[in-house]
This record gives sequence, C-alpha cells and structure tokens, in this order.
Amino acid sequence: MGQVQKDTPKYQQAREKMVLSQIRLRGISDKKVLKAMSEVFRHCFVPEELASQAYADHPLPIGEGQTISQPYIVALMTESLKLKGPESVLEIGTGSGYQAAILANVTKEVYTVEIRKKLHTKANETLRSLGYTNIKTRHADGYFGWPEAAPFDCIMITAAIDHIPPPLLKQLKDGGRLILPLGNPFSYQNLSLVTKQGEDYTVKQITGVLFVPMTGYALDHN
Amino acid sequence: MILTAVFLLSLSALSFEILLVRIFSISQWNHLSFMVISITLFGFAVGGTWLNIIDIHKKGWEKHLSSFENIHIFTILFTLSTIISFIVLNRIPLDYFRLPLEPIQAFYLLTAYLLLALPFFFTGLVVSIAYAFMPEKTGFVYFASMAGSASGAIIPVIFLPFIYEGSLIILSAVIPLAVIFLKHPGHNQGRILTKRRYFRLICLCIFIIAGVLIVKGGNTIVQVKPSPYKKLSQMLLFPNTRITETTNSIRGRFENIESPHFRFAPGLSLKYKGLLPDQTATFKDGDNPLFLYQLKSQSDVQFSNFTLPYSGYLLVPHPKHILVIQHGGGSAIPCALASGSDNITIVEQQPQIANRVQQHYKLPVINQNPRTFLARSDRRYDIIHIENWGTSLPGSAALTQDYFFTIESFTQYFQHLSNNGVFIVSRLLLLPPSDAIRLWATAYESLRSLEIKSPEKHIAVLRNWNTFTMIVSAQPFNDTAVIEDVAQNLNFDMVYLPGISKKNVNRFNIFDAPYHYIEIQRLAEAYRLGTEKTYFETYPLDVFPQTDNRPFPYRFLKWSRLKALYKMTGSRFYSLFMSGEIVVSVVLIEALGISILLLILPFFTTLKETRRFYFSHMLYFFAVGSGFMFIELFFINEYIFIFGDPVISLTVVITGLLVFSAFGGYWSQRISAKNFRIAIAALIVILVCMFFIINPMMHSIIQLNQFLRYTLSLLLLLPAGFLMGLPFPLGMRYILNLPSQRAYAWTTNGCASVLASIASAQIALGLGISAIMIFAISAYFLAFITLCFKRI
Repeated sequence: MGQVQKDTPKYQQAREKMVLSQIRLRGISDKKVLKAMSEVFRHCFVPEELASQAYADHPLPIGEGQTISQPYIVALMTESLKLKGPESVLEIGTGSGYQAAILANVTKEVYTVEIRKKLHTKANETLRSLGYTNIKTRHADGYFGWPEAAPFDCIMITAAIDHIPPPLLKQLKDGGRLILPLGNPFSYQNLSLVTKQGEDYTVKQITGVLFVPMTGYALDHN
Repeated sequence: MILTAVFLLSLSALSFEILLVRIFSISQWNHLSFMVISITLFGFAVGGTWLNIIDIHKKGWEKHLSSFENIHIFTILFTLSTIISFIVLNRIPLDYFRLPLEPIQAFYLLTAYLLLALPFFFTGLVVSIAYAFMPEKTGFVYFASMAGSASGAIIPVIFLPFIYEGSLIILSAVIPLAVIFLKHPGHNQGRILTKRRYFRLICLCIFIIAGVLIVKGGNTIVQVKPSPYKKLSQMLLFPNTRITETTNSIRGRFENIESPHFRFAPGLSLKYKGLLPDQTATFKDGDNPLFLYQLKSQSDVQFSNFTLPYSGYLLVPHPKHILVIQHGGGSAIPCALASGSDNITIVEQQPQIANRVQQHYKLPVINQNPRTFLARSDRRYDIIHIENWGTSLPGSAALTQDYFFTIESFTQYFQHLSNNGVFIVSRLLLLPPSDAIRLWATAYESLRSLEIKSPEKHIAVLRNWNTFTMIVSAQPFNDTAVIEDVAQNLNFDMVYLPGISKKNVNRFNIFDAPYHYIEIQRLAEAYRLGTEKTYFETYPLDVFPQTDNRPFPYRFLKWSRLKALYKMTGSRFYSLFMSGEIVVSVVLIEALGISILLLILPFFTTLKETRRFYFSHMLYFFAVGSGFMFIELFFINEYIFIFGDPVISLTVVITGLLVFSAFGGYWSQRISAKNFRIAIAALIVILVCMFFIINPMMHSIIQLNQFLRYTLSLLLLLPAGFLMGLPFPLGMRYILNLPSQRAYAWTTNGCASVLASIASAQIALGLGISAIMIFAISAYFLAFITLCFKRI
C-alpha cells in the first residue's frame, strides 16, 4: 500500500464492472458518486497482495486490524451526504484514504483525521502520490474534529463508535449532515445519517439493500 | 517405564491443550477453541491408525516400539514438536479474515493444524503402544493416562498467575523428559548405558533452548498477542495508550489500560453538549472492556443523566438501594452514582475486575456469581441495573453460555425488586430485530411465571440509534408520562410502552419502518392470543426466550433460514464465518471427514487375512468414546451455571472426571469378565439418576459458599466418573485379542471423542444442555447392547 500501481486495462475493467454490478444495480444513482467510483484507483489503497481483490464486493483487511470498506458501502455513504460540489467535508478515520479520495472527487475540500500514526502516514503518501490536492490530512484524535476548519457541511465517521462525539455535532453547520456506519464491516453494516436542525437532531437509518429480505418479511407480516 | 511415560506425556499434553485454549481465546476468539479439541483428539487418534498401518510391515511391533529407546525418542519428539508447533502458531502470519481472499492463508492454517496435532500424535502413540504391549494391565495404563491428564489440567491453574501462557507451554513441554532421567533396572549396562547418556545429552540441549526461549523470548517469540481485530490491539495503536498492569490466570488475561482516548458512553443523547470524564479500561483477553470513569466531583457523572439507561432511574426518583450487576461496559456505575443513592451494591464475578472496580470507585464490590448472590440474599432493591455490549466480533459469542439473560435469572431479579422497583437492562440495538424481541419475551415469560396478571403492562423498551434499554417495573406502567417526557426531551424513541400508538414511535432515530416496534407488538399480540409458539417458529431468527437449560442469549441463527441470512448479509459467504455456531459446524464436518479417513485407512493398508477389525468392536469403542465425552461436556456446560466461568468449570470437570476415571480404570483390574456388563449397566443407572436430579441439585449448590460449592461439585462427579473409568480398559482387555485391534480401538475412541465434543455444542444450542446427557446415556446403552450380543 502507498505505492501507486499503474492503472492497467484489467483494473479498468474490474472498476467498470464494480460500478455497474455492485453499485448502480443496487440503486446508487448520483452521477458524481458513480463517476468518482469509476475514476479512483481502489487497487492503490489496498495491500499489494490483495490488489487483485480490490474491486470485489467485500471489505478488505488493510493491516493493523483495519479494513477498507466494501465499495457499495463507500458509494452509499457518499451518496447519502447529498453533496453538490462546493461543500467542505470532514472525515473521521482516514484508514486507507480511499473514502477521502472518493469524497475529494465529488466535493471541493476534504479534511480527514486519523489517530493511528502508521495508517495516517501510509494514506497520506498514497493520496499525495495520486495527486489529490484538495485533501488535507491530519494525525490527530478525530473525537474533537478539526475546529480550525469548522464548521463543516458534512461529517463522515468511518470508525465504529458507541456515541456521536458532541464536539463533532458542534462543528456541523445548521442543516449539515453527519453519517456513520453501524455494525461490523465483516458481517453487516447499515448507516445512520444525522441531520442538524437548530438545536435538534434527527437520525435516519439507511439500511441499504442488505436487509431487504428480513425487513420485507417483518412488514409483510404486520 | 512405559507407564511413567504415559503419565508424564498425558500430563504435558493436557496442559498443552488447556493452554492452547487460552491462547486461542487471546489471539483469536473463544469459539475457535473448538479447533483445539479437534486438533488434540485428531492427533491422539492418528497414533492408533499409524500403529495399524505398521502392523502389517513389522511383526511384534508392540515389543519393539515399547523399548526404552523408542519411548525416549517419542518423548523427545513430543517435547520438540510442542515447542516448535507453538512457536510456529505464534509467529505464522495466519489471518482468518484473509482466508477466503488469499490461498496462502489456507496453507498457513493447514500448517498450524498439522503441527499442533503432532505432540498429541506422539502422546497417543505411546498410550496406544502401552495398551498393545500390556493387554493384561489395561487398567493400569488407563490409570496412568487419566491421572496424568488430570494433573495436567491443574498445571495452568497453578502456574498461570506467575508465568505467561507461552513460557508455561515450554515449561510443561519439557516435563515428560524426566522419564529419560529416571533410573530403570537393567538399563545401567554397556550399550544401553551409552544410549541413555546420549538421550540425556539431547535433553540437556533441549533444556538450554527452552530456558533461553523463556528468558529471552518472553516478550517476543513466545509472547501471545491479541488478534489485531480485537479492541485492545486497536486501542494500543492510539497515541499515549499503554498497558499499566497485566494480571494472568486461568480465568483470562486482564489488562489495565490508560489512554486519553477512552470515551465510552453508549446510549448518550445527541442533546448532551459537554465532555465526558477521563476513563481507564480493563480488557479481558484483549476484548470485553470494562471502562472506569475518573469521577472527581458529582458533576462528572452528569453525563449519565443523558444516557438511555438512566430513563429507568427517573421512574424511582430517590432510590434507596441499587444493585448493579457488572457484566462488561461500565456505564451502569455512573448511572447509579448520578441517582444520588448512597447504598449501591455492585456484584462482579471476576475477582480481578471486582478488585479493580473496588479500588477505583472505593465502593463495596461483592465478588460473587450474581446468581449465587441473589439466591443467598433477601434484600430488595429499588433499581437493579445490568448492561452488556457484546464482543468486538458479532456472532463470536453465539456459543457463550450466559445465565444473566434467562427466564430464571429474570425471575430472580424481579423477586428482588422493591414494591416500586425497576429492573433496567441495556444492550446494542440489532437489526433485523432479535435481541430486543428475545429480552421482551424473557421478561414476559418470567413475569407470567410469577403470576403477574398482565405482564405486558410492566415492560417498557426505548432506543436511540444504536442501543436499547428495557425497563421492567414491579408495578404496571399506569402513568407513562415520565417515559414519554424523557424520550421527547432527549430525542430517544419508544419501542414498547403499554398503550403506545404507532405515531409516537420512530420519531427521532428513524428507520424505514419501526421494525422493533412492529415485531414486539406482534409478539405481544401473539401472547394475548396464546400463539406465541407459532410466532417464534415462524420468525426468521431464533428469538426464543432462553432458559438455564439453554442459556445462549447471543445466538440467533436458525439453520432452516440460513439461506435468508446469507442473502441478508449481502450474499457474502465469509460473513457467515463470523458466527461461532457456523465455525463449529464447519469443524464438525472436517472432523467427520478426518475420522472416516482414520477409521477406513487401516482397511486399505492391512492385508485381508491379518485384518481382525470387527464392526461390533468399532461400535463398542465408538459408543464408549462418545459417551465419555458427552458426559464430560454435559458437566462442563452445567457447571458454568455454578461457577459462572467456563474455564473454571472446564478445569473442575476435567480434573474431577479424569481423577475418578483413573481410579475406576485402576479398579477395573479387579473386575472379571462376567461382571463387565454389570459395570456398564451400573453406569447407565447412575447416569439416568443424574439426569433427573442434576437441575435441582445445581440450584441448591449455587446457594452454598465457595468451599461447599467446589466440594459438592467434585463429589457429584464421583459416581459417574469412577464408573466411566471401567468400560474402556475392560473392553481393551476382554473384547480384543490382538495389538492391532487395541490400536484400532484407540483410534475409534479418539474419533468418537472428537465428534461427540463438537456435536455436544450443537446439541446444547438446539435442544438444551440436558439433551447432551440423553445422548451420553444412549451411547453407553449402545455399548451395553453390543456386549449383550458378544461372547466375552
């Protein structure tokens, strides 16, 4: 990881297939998101030995017990923020840097914070070598956000947490959106989208497509 | 000499097995410890098969192999393979999560599996040689093997507080080498003496290597580290995070961690604007953290007022007595402190954690199994609070027996509530709805058992975006205003409250539909109509309320709905491997395949005219092997209820049963052929009695003090344990005639043990723990029937 691998026709093909079968067909329709997903070299963000699996429909281990999310989850999280282009987005948990790269292709500026030094260094190298200039990275505790750059239109938390940090809610603009995943990347995930409206917050659960059979069952029997 | 070797090798092998279980619990997750059982018994069984294979090529092998040179060679190989296999396991870059992605991982897994089986192979080999070499003394061989194993089970208990797992493996691996230094008559002359010196020299080299590994490799090569996917490993990557203290014991490895980045507050309202107090944490085996808050003033606990569980406290404004049942997490104690009560009782069953909580909060902590504490206490509480947030790997706790969330435990909690008291339980919110439904049903069933008229009127369930809290009140919820207000003010959602309407749910933490509300309403309606059984049968997940006989609150899988589950988790095959139950099933299939191979192999490798394996022999030893293991697993599962800890239960049962079986084996030397059947019939009678009396006895024993609990638990094992020591040596002596038959019987017994040990997990999950005893009785009955058709 960190080494920029060339974009070969094999990877291009895999990316196109990923966008079509894993993302479009599951209902992601935001053109900017689809474009970003088809442009960002996901194989550069995974360990070299797993590069052949980079575009497969599952998360991948990136070392130190961390993962790069399943492509569909990345697309779903990005689309759920309903980004228009000029927004300022804060990402908590840089990880491999892939999600930040997708966000950077969709919006004006991305701030990303990673608490683990090694991951921060690797992701920073990868993003720099891929030429992303609108991503600012920081090795810090994401719980406190990035106060100097606040407020943000959107915040994305990519790490598992048991509560939403109050400092992050403070750094969210009125009407701003905060998204975070629920569940374990290896088993199942759904997303929670928090919207700030004055002093109040609503949390919308985005269950995606993974729960259709079960939730469908529950509703049918009601 | 061979009996000494059997004793020492059995001792060291069992110690290695238990230490491997500990290592798997730390470096992976508990449910993978089933692999250890499979590896152990597989290694044992291969020993017998190997002897069958050489039987055709070398006549009189039993004499040749039981010579002192060969026994010494096998002992040295045991020691070397134990040390090497452990180091390889500890260093190999095996990552279970990469298994479906990288072919090389399958090679690593196979390497680890085969290497770990080697020490058990050498042990099994020596034991089966002993059986073959001394057909008239099978009882003594059995005694040596069982007594050695029983002693081996105690080694980790005694030494783990002082020596880490890796170093202890190396120390216990060298114990059998003592056989090489013992004096034996006739071994002190000429060529034999020279050979003995040569062996002793090799041993000295091994001692030096072992010493260097322990002294120099304690922090590197033999240090067991938690999986990088576990919470502790991930926390240690955070800056300024460090381990301040480590306490080791058979119960687990407890590590105190200091970090400025701990911020634990599950169920915290988004309305909370302040910061959380500083925290430290204690991890057990790298997971299941308990967070301890630095509370310098009363204002430091104010955050608790904004948490979901605190909603229950608002129903009892000035609680006099609060009982906190500590079960991981740690946010219940600040809640209790925030309530202003000056009479808080904390019960924690792990001594290490109890000490830590007591030292940290300066509050009295009762170090006892909470079920024992409640059974022995008449006190009533205004609030009983329990929380549990699960492990870092969903599904890994599916096989965990937990007696805190059963109908019987809820009944105990409710019986200890004051007139206006409330019981509060908080857990993670799962989708599809599962846990919340099960706990609601558990509370309902429990209230019904207490003859409460309308149980549904005593239950309330609230949630936020990722947790839920169930409140059960001693009085019916006639006035729901308090709950409704707190939900409104802190942006929580009501899931179930008597008289609640659909428009009042799913307002702040919005799902596409109010799934949890819908399902609990359906269940409440099913209870009203008396159709709850149909509800549980048709629901896609297993949400049956759990009982003390089937205490698996974290298990939701229904095998008949596996396909739906597979689709639900995104049709990703590997995600199913997160479930402990599925891992066990895979191990069972694998063990079945290996067993068939080991049992069939001798038929192809031996000549037809010399082959003397009969189906009835195989059936007898298969029945005896599986029967023994079923009983062992039955008691281990039952005793978790008494001791509250699976490892303590495992140690007590293994030690007790093996010691008593050893004496049974010794006694078997005096049993004549005509009394053979009577011995098995007596065992069956004892087991049938045990089946009927065990549950009432468990509930009586749990109320006793620690000394009596341990003593009675051991004594309860005595009759069955003693008689279980008879069928195997008697069968070896009276049914079989040839060394090759005895080796084959050893293999059969080993294979049956593997399959029974894995199958019993599945039996307990599906049918309940008591069903394991039915399987044990059936197995011994089958053995008895086999004997009835045989001339002895």
